[in-house]
Amino acid sequence: MFFLKKRRIVLSFEEHPRLKEVKFSLSKIIKNPLSIAGMSIIFLYLMIALLAPTIAPPKYEHEPFRIPHEGYSIIPEPPAPGHPFGTTTKQYDIFYGVIWGTRTAFRIGFMVVGSILVIGVVVGSISGYFGGIVDEVLMRIVDIFMSLPTLILAMAIVTALGRSLDNIMKSLIVVGWPIYARTIRGSILSIREEDFVEAAKALGANDFTVIFKHILPNAIYPVLILASLDIGAMVLTAAALSFLGLGAQEGYADWGQMVSLARNFIVGPPDQPLMYWYVVTIPGLFILFFVLGWNLLGDAFRDIFDPKLRRK
Amino acid sequence: MNFLNYIIRRLLLLIVVLIGVTVVIFILMALFSPAQRASAFITDIKQFGDIDSIIRTYGLDKPVYIQYFNWLKQIFQGNFGWSTTVSRPVIDAFKFFFPNTLELALFSAPIIILVGIWIGSLSAVHRDKPVDHFTRVLAIVGWSLPTFWFGLILLMIFYGYFQGLFPPEALGYKAHTFVNSAEFVRYTRINSIDALLNGELWIFVDAIRHLVLPVITLTVVQIALVMRIMRSSMLEAMGKGYVLTARAKGAAWKTVIKKHARRNALIPVVTVSGWLFALMMAGVVITETIFNRKGLGWWWARAATQLDIPSVLMAVLFNGILFVVTNLIVDILYAYIDPRVRLG
Amino acid sequence: MGELILDISELKTNFYTYEGVVKAIDEISFSLEKGDTLGIVGETGCGKSVTVLSLLQLILPPGKIESGRIVYKANGKRINLLEQSEPFMRNVRGNEISMIFQEASSALNPVLNINTQVSESFLLHRQKELCESVLENLSERVDKSKRFSRLFLRCLNYRYKKKLRKAENNLLKHGHYGRLIKKDAKRLTIDLLASLGIPNPSEVIKRYPHELSGGMQQRVVISMALACNPNILIADEPTSNLDVTIQAQILDLIEKLKGEYKTSILFITHDLGVIAEIASKVIVLYAGALVEFAPVRELFKNPLHPYTKALLNSVPKLERRERLESIRGNVPNLVDPPAGCRFHPRCPGVMDICRSSKPEQIINRTHGGQVHSVACFLYRNTKAWYEN
Repeated sequence: MFFLKKRRIVLSFEEHPRLKEVKFSLSKIIKNPLSIAGMSIIFLYLMIALLAPTIAPPKYEHEPFRIPHEGYSIIPEPPAPGHPFGTTTKQYDIFYGVIWGTRTAFRIGFMVVGSILVIGVVVGSISGYFGGIVDEVLMRIVDIFMSLPTLILAMAIVTALGRSLDNIMKSLIVVGWPIYARTIRGSILSIREEDFVEAAKALGANDFTVIFKHILPNAIYPVLILASLDIGAMVLTAAALSFLGLGAQEGYADWGQMVSLARNFIVGPPDQPLMYWYVVTIPGLFILFFVLGWNLLGDAFRDIFDPKLRRK
Repeated sequence: MNFLNYIIRRLLLLIVVLIGVTVVIFILMALFSPAQRASAFITDIKQFGDIDSIIRTYGLDKPVYIQYFNWLKQIFQGNFGWSTTVSRPVIDAFKFFFPNTLELALFSAPIIILVGIWIGSLSAVHRDKPVDHFTRVLAIVGWSLPTFWFGLILLMIFYGYFQGLFPPEALGYKAHTFVNSAEFVRYTRINSIDALLNGELWIFVDAIRHLVLPVITLTVVQIALVMRIMRSSMLEAMGKGYVLTARAKGAAWKTVIKKHARRNALIPVVTVSGWLFALMMAGVVITETIFNRKGLGWWWARAATQLDIPSVLMAVLFNGILFVVTNLIVDILYAYIDPRVRLG
Repeated sequence: MGELILDISELKTNFYTYEGVVKAIDEISFSLEKGDTLGIVGETGCGKSVTVLSLLQLILPPGKIESGRIVYKANGKRINLLEQSEPFMRNVRGNEISMIFQEASSALNPVLNINTQVSESFLLHRQKELCESVLENLSERVDKSKRFSRLFLRCLNYRYKKKLRKAENNLLKHGHYGRLIKKDAKRLTIDLLASLGIPNPSEVIKRYPHELSGGMQQRVVISMALACNPNILIADEPTSNLDVTIQAQILDLIEKLKGEYKTSILFITHDLGVIAEIASKVIVLYAGALVEFAPVRELFKNPLHPYTKALLNSVPKLERRERLESIRGNVPNLVDPPAGCRFHPRCPGVMDICRSSKPEQIINRTHGGQVHSVACFLYRNTKAWYEN
């Protein structure tokens, strides 16, 4: 067996092919204007989220997500010193709300997509690798989940669990994992037949090693692209559920809810129809750009990792 | 014969999916207290006084699988329960709300598909030209747009700034009264179509005015999606050998695109169009809520916030059926477009 | 020496890709005689297909024909194709110069039936003839008909004639009339397929490409190219994906057609055996440059360019039992081709001059008086030529 050892020494001097591939992808990402735009937007939001306590010091020390409000007047007030974006109905400060809402958005995006990524990868790997009856049962479950629109199923689950932001997140996890499972299963099925997997098996690697060391690193790209596109989509769906009134209690820093609070003040009095523009426009733009940032990044990822478009 | 076989197989699949969906629904139901669940078995408002006897009759304290069969039996008997949000049986509420949603879908679906395909192929044909860059940016912004916010902004501009040009709700006050009066025959219960059938043009115009903003809100996101799929599949088709063959035959570029590339490029669009319908129903929930248009979506959204379980379950069941049926239609269309696919 | 039908000089095509400008073909000059078969040989990616696609101006962005002249001579006129407008080229493509593609399965549109695809050629280039034959049929119908319906049919006929005059450009759009033309085109299609030895053509035209075998598909592709009796037929590796027996049948078919219609053929292949069988003259391409031109027998007997020699040595021969030689090194990246002669990094007889300047074509005549030219500095003085 000495020649095998010898070969391994030679290989270790070369750059690992996977590392090389990642380097190539990174160079592509840095050159792509869309991904730069996306990354800048996300970086900006990240800064806002991290610096939230400095930008908008919380009024209630232990509940920083509660938006401070002065008085209970229903009529929104226009931007003024102290309230740079004005106040919404019941005098909640819009500026404070959107700044701390950034943290909420990141929490929803990362928690939901992170969880469904883990669940989806585990279920998909089991299904794709073992096949047979396990695969059949798991995929029929996936079929059933995928036959219902995300928003409606999530709505039903939140209704059952009770209204709250945490429950919105839970429902999105329940609704979101099947597509990940199916995608990863698909790529595993195609990779499972490849020679290097057969070789690894022939060398006596156990199932666990084969899945995690040989198959998953090659099958994970499509799922990662899906995930980067999904962070935006999940935040959007969560905001929609909040807007429908299924989210946190009133006054919580959450963009969807802030749009919902503004619903009665879209149209001003006849002589000044656009009087309350700031109430609805500002939180909405925060959502739009957050989602846009992730979508730009995800889109660039997809173009870069798509084998058909790659290396053109 | 082959075709019949295929339909039968698809219908069997429909039953499998529906059983799956009902199981999901039932798991959801198990999360509620017996008293809350009892409302799913109520068919008349008078029964509300006697919740305990309903719990006993339907065995809501029995093992889960017995409850499931009981519930299933009720569904097969057409008893969907009582909707507390609108104070009438769920089945009646459905009949009442469905036409408004159907009207919205009937006006939106052709726009989504035709405009999406048109812009998508335009973008592909003029690849890397200004048109292409513009539509790509538009697509990605459209895809990132929060529907609920976009609808509100549209209202702000077209209802507020332009002084009621395109108002919310389904009909204006005057038209609404007239439609519900004895003079107006409700053939289909779809406002715009009934208006034409009755020969009342002013009601038709009113209905269209009320439709403009919801249709825009509902279509913009999905046009972005169709456009994107069409663009990439069109680009793929344009690189194929048969396009070169057709050009070598001496066909004009326009003919090549229309006759050879587009039909092949449509195949992926057809594949996702079933999914598009599901997405549309989700859009309907938001759109109807914003514009206060009394349709299925409006009802379901209210039901969800007011713990009206039977209505929410109806929503899930309806969407499950819709998905399977649209996919059946999509498969038939698919076989029509792509001769390599044979049903059966 | 025969009459030239196609004379290409200094044709240059580039592709502008992300990685840089790919100099796909670099100032290639050659000509095709009327009724002759010219073979184009070379490795994959040496620019064979790009050459013929440039010829028909089928190169799409990011590709671009930079310079050169393509003189096409037909009906006593000499036309530079590169100076012609797109509508003119459309009339040339498929009508006067047509092309057979290498992979029949991808050259046929999977969603259209055979009839639609083959009759498209007739509908594009034989509109006038089709119209006339349809009108003739109509007149016959008038003559044969009974007296009372004659007037009616005459009126109908008059209407068609009027439409014909009105709609010279786009006849197919005119409902019933278009249908009659399509029917006539279908008849021509059936005749054409039958002449190519396709059994049961009226049944075959209803089918879709995936329902036909590989050889059948290739016949259909050939039929599309031959529909309008082109003056020049370009065959781009028409046999490369077929079984040997079917390959032989297809080659026989092309030979037969050549004899029948006096078509000039440009035959592209990487298979030297096929070239020996079908071509009378051969050009050898390497990395987008023309390295050698010779009559086929001369080339096999007396290859001059080091690349041609290497290429011939890499083909197994029955009479010689020796080790096959491979050409050392790789095909160069055309974004940054080697300076001077493009073959110099792989050439066994490389000299200093090869690295710096580009070799010209050196023309000589064989004993039979035929032209044999080579682009290599080894043959700068004719002495070396005869020593070889």
